[in-house]
Amino acid sequence: MSVEKLLNELVGKKLQTQTRRHFLLDCVSKMGGLALAPLLFGCDLGKNGTLNSGLQLSDRDLNPLSPLPPPFLGKAKSIIYLHMAGAPSQLELFDFKPELAKYHDQDCPESLLEGRKFAFIRGVPKMLGPQAKFSQHGESGAWISDYLPHFSKVADEVAFLKAMHTDQFNHGPAQLFMQTGSPRLGRPSLGSWVTYGLGTENQNLPGFVVLTSGGKTPDAGKSVWGSGFLPSVYQGVQCRSKGDPVLYLEDPSGMSRDLKKHVISAINQSNQEDFQNFGDPEILARINQYEMAYRMQIEVPEVMNINDEPDHIHQLYGTQPGEESFANNCLLARKLVEKGVRVVQLYDWGWDTHGTDHDGSIDMGLRNKCRTIDRPMTALLLDLKQRGLLEETLVVWGGEFGRTPMQENREGKKMGFLGRDHHVDAFTVWMAGGGVKKGTSYGITDDFGFAGVDERTSVHDLHATILHLMGFDHEKFTYEFQGRPFRLTDVHGELIRSVIA
Amino acid sequence: MLSFVFPLLGRFHPILVHLPIGILVFGVLLIFLSKKEDKTYLPAIQLAFLLGSIGGLLACISGFLQYQFEGFSWDTVQFHLIFGVLTTAAGFFFYGKSKKITDPSSLKWSSTALIGALLITGHLGGTITHGEGYFTEVMPENLQSLFGGTAPSAQPLTLPEEGWEELAYYEEVVQPILNSNCQSCHNPRNKKGGLDLSSKEALLKGGENGSIIDSHEFLKSSLISRMELPLDHEDHMPPSEKRQPKKEELQLIRLWLENEASFDLKLGAAKPEKKWLEPFFQREEIAFYPTVNLTPLIEDSLAALRNKGFYVEPIAKGSPLLKVSCINFPDFQDQNLQDLGALNAHVVYLDLSGTQVTDEILRGLTDFPNLTVLKLSQTAISGNSLNQLGQSQKIKLIFLNQTEVSLTHIQSLTAIKSLEKVFAFETPASSELQSLGNPTLPFLLETGSYLLPKIPTDTIVY
Repeated sequence: MSVEKLLNELVGKKLQTQTRRHFLLDCVSKMGGLALAPLLFGCDLGKNGTLNSGLQLSDRDLNPLSPLPPPFLGKAKSIIYLHMAGAPSQLELFDFKPELAKYHDQDCPESLLEGRKFAFIRGVPKMLGPQAKFSQHGESGAWISDYLPHFSKVADEVAFLKAMHTDQFNHGPAQLFMQTGSPRLGRPSLGSWVTYGLGTENQNLPGFVVLTSGGKTPDAGKSVWGSGFLPSVYQGVQCRSKGDPVLYLEDPSGMSRDLKKHVISAINQSNQEDFQNFGDPEILARINQYEMAYRMQIEVPEVMNINDEPDHIHQLYGTQPGEESFANNCLLARKLVEKGVRVVQLYDWGWDTHGTDHDGSIDMGLRNKCRTIDRPMTALLLDLKQRGLLEETLVVWGGEFGRTPMQENREGKKMGFLGRDHHVDAFTVWMAGGGVKKGTSYGITDDFGFAGVDERTSVHDLHATILHLMGFDHEKFTYEFQGRPFRLTDVHGELIRSVIA
Repeated sequence: MLSFVFPLLGRFHPILVHLPIGILVFGVLLIFLSKKEDKTYLPAIQLAFLLGSIGGLLACISGFLQYQFEGFSWDTVQFHLIFGVLTTAAGFFFYGKSKKITDPSSLKWSSTALIGALLITGHLGGTITHGEGYFTEVMPENLQSLFGGTAPSAQPLTLPEEGWEELAYYEEVVQPILNSNCQSCHNPRNKKGGLDLSSKEALLKGGENGSIIDSHEFLKSSLISRMELPLDHEDHMPPSEKRQPKKEELQLIRLWLENEASFDLKLGAAKPEKKWLEPFFQREEIAFYPTVNLTPLIEDSLAALRNKGFYVEPIAKGSPLLKVSCINFPDFQDQNLQDLGALNAHVVYLDLSGTQVTDEILRGLTDFPNLTVLKLSQTAISGNSLNQLGQSQKIKLIFLNQTEVSLTHIQSLTAIKSLEKVFAFETPASSELQSLGNPTLPFLLETGSYLLPKIPTDTIVY
């Protein structure tokens, strides 16, 4: 028998089994489906983009990054967050403890160790006096060490939080906590929350850009700029200061921009037809994304190119075009904020000064590391200031925790270099710019700089304050997920009023 | 060894209570269903009253056991218990009566008393488990007030910056702190731990562990000590998963106790540290943007502007003031300003940086009466017509970075009395300043050109 004959027979058999009963039975379920259709949201669209039931599609349905007004009048419209991954030593930079010097090389008092756990310190460690020279700067008289000679010139622009505390002593969880408000994975990052809440002003650029330097990305991985349970369009877009700013943004060779335009308009036309048929607003969002990607191809390489900056700006920042450096990233941060990007997050890796080697030593490696940020971050503040951008840009600097006043004694042994262990009870964060009270210092630590004794501030308090400056009430800024509203600050967080102008 | 039996039986109370409710109501229903001289249901009525009353007895016994073993206070349960016993007794009474009569319909009216007793007992019982106001809670507020009182409001503490000294320490400071931090669990309807913190009387009464104010050692009062326990301590209040009071709030309660928890004390007399009051001062912020009465914005007119390429948003949700930017509209030209015409009074922030505008634009800008921030950076304006802005009396910030504006142009801006800052970075004005020195201006002129001169440590590698 030929194949054809077989197939014919199959069709015949099929027809025999299809009875009137089948038809009636099928009808029952299909009719139900038809009846349901108008009840379902997505299928209820007229051709003009409004829902037949009268609901109007918002800009947000079509473009999730479209700007929204803040709930309250915020002082800042953008944030630049400088995260020093690895946690710099507050005792060598901002928290001056002359008393600690007197106890240098003496055994740590038992009272400090009781009931405490450290990442590496075991037994009774020796105290480690400050390795930097401190002096007071500006009219505010802020204590800043000689590790940051340039930064000390802008002391009066800055508000210090000197008694920050966290509850995570490992880098990954602590960075997550600092950036997402939870030490565990799954929560949206600060930048995602803000981008979700305010959208982006420049429709040709992402709302939330991440730049990394120091050779490595943060220990916690990309989740520190992830969007968690928020729609993924709000996650940070990692750009590179060396090579293509965004991977795969460049057209492949042989693919002209015109061709790309044809491809995208063909896809969008087909999507448009789908939208006419099904009326699902997700399709419009997708059309928008294609168009944005196309526009980004022009604007991103332009804004990410620092070659055209004048010489005096390069000298100010100490930038070397083509490098992957914190200096280049600072300059890029200014350019991005100037172009209307909502959140720019800089991660600089290499601050984990345990004293295991030269680079990780408090007296040498840390000094070298400080040199790579001192000029750029000072330049960033000055450059924002001279352009008037500091009025509406919030700059935050900090690590994920602090470092111990004790010298690290890994495995109970004396180390080859001076180092400090991870420390959760005290560290320093500074803020400057939009809405921040200039030249203030909030928070006092004990004589060893071991723990805050007054005006302590938690990670949640910092988040609450940042959100406040952006125009949000951190207790009301929520997202419904898994049956309950979620906040960046969970059930915690108190506004640090003393650093708000 | 069998000590668990009684508490266990007690826990059956919430189940057993439904027996008398169901069965006795059924009996009364049958009475009402009986016509005059109709004995059809009489045996069933007798049985219902007997079984219902036995159910009532079981409910009473289990209820009493629960009262004994679960730490309910007599105050809480007294009426429920009394009515429960009364209801059961009434059940037996009607059972006896139904044995004697021949016409069940004769019991019609007296038996409604039994239903009444059941309802009251049931309601009192429900109040113990669900809290007072279980019904009123879901009612609209005007109905709630009909049933007596609305839910306690929990506005956080606020203090006036002037005259706080005269505030009554307890009523206007301590009670508001308790209201916003404690009252959701310690109120007359929901007394967790038998404690109500909503009034002076309730506060003095204390909870099931007795008084919460120690009148010998005030600072050892559990009112403060439990709030000052470490957060992870089992007895810490409020529970660790709840919002915690501010440390200033604790300070203020502590200070009140230090002053022997006096109910007549004035806040000023207790001499609180000013920084404890700081977070509660209601400050009238000097608004950056003008406060003017304007018609609310219509979404459609904003959408029309957005379609033209403008970035247009209210400065905050619900505000009639507008922030307008041409960040996505680099082709903006002088005549495009007319597009904003109808909303001119609403625009307080106008960013025309990087657009095609010329000196002409300044004439048009005089039509924006509430303009507060004006950005004209990176444009072709020469500055000659800057003096036209003199009529605007609300402008506070002007951005003229990277334009051809000179120092004389900027001096013409002194006519704007409200002006606070002018930014003129990378302009002729900025280089003029370096050679001529600073002119006295009534506003701050920022010309930037900051430098960070090289220092030896820039190149020392350790």
